[in-house]
Amino acid sequence: MKYAIFLIKTAYEDFVRNKGRTVLTSLGILIGVLSVVLLMAFGLGLKKYISDQFESLGKNLVMVMPGQGFGRDGGRSLIGGIQFDFKDINKLKRIKGIKAIAPYFMKTLKVEYKTKSELSMLLATTGESFEVTNFKIAEGRAFSNSDNEKSAKVVVMGSETAEKLFGNNEDKVGKYVRIQGQRFKVIGVMQKQGGGALGSDFNTRSIVPYKSAYFLNPTKKFFAIYLKAGDGINISNLKSEIKSTLLKRYKEDDFSVTDQVELLSTINSIFSILNLVLVAIAAISLVVGGIGIMNIMYVTVTERIKEIGIRRALGARKNDILYQFMVEAVALSLIGGLLGLVLAYLIVALIYNFFPAYIDLFSVFLALAVSSIIGFIFGVFPAKKAADLTPIEAIRYE
Amino acid sequence: MIKLQNIWKEYHLDKELVFTALKNINLTIKDKEFASIIGPSGSGKSTLMHLIGLLDTPSQGKIFFDDMDVSKMNDNKLSSLRNEYIGFVFQQFNLIPKLTVLENILMSTVYATKKMGFIPRDRALDLIGRFGLNGKENSYPNKISGGQQQRVAIARALMMNPKLILADEPTGNLDTKTGQQILNLLQDLHEKEKITVIIVTHDPGIASETKRKIEIRDGEII
Repeated sequence: MKYAIFLIKTAYEDFVRNKGRTVLTSLGILIGVLSVVLLMAFGLGLKKYISDQFESLGKNLVMVMPGQGFGRDGGRSLIGGIQFDFKDINKLKRIKGIKAIAPYFMKTLKVEYKTKSELSMLLATTGESFEVTNFKIAEGRAFSNSDNEKSAKVVVMGSETAEKLFGNNEDKVGKYVRIQGQRFKVIGVMQKQGGGALGSDFNTRSIVPYKSAYFLNPTKKFFAIYLKAGDGINISNLKSEIKSTLLKRYKEDDFSVTDQVELLSTINSIFSILNLVLVAIAAISLVVGGIGIMNIMYVTVTERIKEIGIRRALGARKNDILYQFMVEAVALSLIGGLLGLVLAYLIVALIYNFFPAYIDLFSVFLALAVSSIIGFIFGVFPAKKAADLTPIEAIRYE
Repeated sequence: MIKLQNIWKEYHLDKELVFTALKNINLTIKDKEFASIIGPSGSGKSTLMHLIGLLDTPSQGKIFFDDMDVSKMNDNKLSSLRNEYIGFVFQQFNLIPKLTVLENILMSTVYATKKMGFIPRDRALDLIGRFGLNGKENSYPNKISGGQQQRVAIARALMMNPKLILADEPTGNLDTKTGQQILNLLQDLHEKEKITVIIVTHDPGIASETKRKIEIRDGEII
């Protein structure tokens, strides 16, 4: 114990004596740890954000999409693939266990109110769609299937689009907006979804009955069909039933049937790989920091050869010298690691309101472990050089 | 105490050039001796001192320390022997500049492998008092005079209760008066504490104050 205190004290005294050098050397590790921890924190935040978004869509959601869906072919076939029609919808309706069905026609267009105009993602679908996707209404009401049958020109707006068009204080429900020249009555505004940059996607939608939007969709085709399974229905059985129904008309590669859990895990694995690559790139800076430590430790050893000689004459063993310099290298690296961690924490705290990044215990552990190991690896050669000096070589050194 | 048997020390300056620093040295130093090794510079006296101090190993021959064959010992064992039995005093004082007087004196206790029969701090303070360094405990070496630095070095050498003090030109960096004080101090250690003291010097005046003169020239004892 006394010996450990002595080693740490010796290292500390050397740091105090060479403040500038200590700070600069630690800076390398600081930057490395900072970037690795921050990237991990962003990765975790993004993952959590996506999971939250998916959870808000509700469980029991099954999505039928053209092509191979997300992931397997990078989503290329989502555009320009097959489109679904009423034949498909009617067949799917007959499958037992489906509680609600929502075909989607989508188009990005301008929604206008008086002199204002906002870009919005128009979704033309059934009244059931609100149940399928769990979208909650904040003001007014959702439209129903009978509104759809009547081709009612009504619209339920995303919170952001509504706010931009009408401002905060005005009543939004009951107003009329123009979509491609047609008048639509605003009957409801949706609750704000999610929090961050990606969430705005949900909040800029305008949902209309599909029959009222045939003027935009003359072929009466749909881009995707979302289905909600009844409670207690086995999702994977349902999926295979949906698949076999559609296979009578389409080839296997033409469409995909995915559920929430599957989609979430696909997206998560994409982000995990992406994050891993980024962290690996950031880790290179840790190695660079380590080389900085090695360099400075060689300088320190050379500067202190005489001191090593004196210590050896007084009875220090090779290992005493080795430990002394090892402790110094590890401490140097660990100081950088700790400061990097503190700085990362501050940055995460600062941006938390904009992006829900967070540092988990594993990152903390990893940062400290990695910086110790870097100090160890890059410290061992200079320390060995010091320890291997013969007492006489060292004491004669001028 | 120390016996050197047919000691040769050679330095290979390059592939073919060999410099022989010590030639067939036979020397016995008994317990409680007060001796000097004297010779001009380049005579091999420092090399001899380093061998006696177990800081270096001979090219040929054997060294016995208290009848133990040193050539068979590993670095750890040699370090322990230095720590427990030998105190060094150098011409350049060789104090560690970033450590205080007290910390310098305490240095060797950190490397002790056996239980010490004293409380390190108490003994260090006692030595500080004995050598007239009171009030300088927390001073750094560059803040005290040369004579004081050399006394700190002697206190450091004495810390572990050594049997042997090896002093390499201990007065070389001091004025005559201060040098004499240091010599008297070493003489006291020999007389009052019965410590073996060996002074390495080129100065016949200093050598004449010791009881035994070992003269060395061109690597040989004459």
